[in-house]
Amino acid sequence: MFDPVMEQILIIARDAWGFLAGLLVIVALLGGLYYVLQGTAGAAFGGSKMASAAIIGAVGLVILVLFAFLFLPQIGEMLKNFQPKPPF
Amino acid sequence: MAEALSLLQTFFREAWLALAGALLAFVLLAALAHILRVSSSAVIGANLWVAEGLAGVAGVVLLGLFAFLGVPQIVKAALAAIPSGGGCGPIGELGSLSAGIIGGLAALRMLKALFVSVVSASVGGGGSMAQALIECAEALFGMLLAALAMPLSAWFLGAC
Repeated sequence: MFDPVMEQILIIARDAWGFLAGLLVIVALLGGLYYVLQGTAGAAFGGSKMASAAIIGAVGLVILVLFAFLFLPQIGEMLKNFQPKPPF
Repeated sequence: MAEALSLLQTFFREAWLALAGALLAFVLLAALAHILRVSSSAVIGANLWVAEGLAGVAGVVLLGLFAFLGVPQIVKAALAAIPSGGGCGPIGELGSLSAGIIGGLAALRMLKALFVSVVSASVGGGGSMAQALIECAEALFGMLLAALAMPLSAWFLGAC
């Protein structure tokens, strides 16, 4: 009875997932480029703190994106396994 | 009476499955949205937003776990507390019918409240989340009242 509604919701959710994942990649690429610019500028005029902050920022950004693309699907699989049958 | 109960319970079960699937989809989308927020705020150096986003991811996942692990156990415990045979004859049948319907409705209401709270948490709305948790408590309280109502009415009417 609710299957057609669920199919529509899942189609919208898949589209939203693709949109958010694409946006995340774009933000991460732009952020990575910014950190590279910051790091090279810092290295060019001897700003070691600036360069190290840029390197740490870039690594953090990569970790965040890996978290989103590796950990979230695993969480989804886990929650899918936990999806309960009707308790009544 | 039994056919009506079976029909209603089938309807409620299908609604439960659909709501659980939608809840799962929204939990994942909310977590991804929070991570997008974390990464963009990390790029512009907004530490508070990063902390808020990470707390949001944890909160959304915890809400999903509570919905999938906690709610069914609560509903099962509350259903076991509702006496289905508070009398005999029509009162007994009414008791079993009402116990089934009340249990199904309360379970659906709790899941709906958690669905609303996940959607609310995904956009950072605290007020709706508190309201949804109040709804959970209301559903439980209603089930407890219903557990008292059937034996009391059977006793009042002097049935069996």
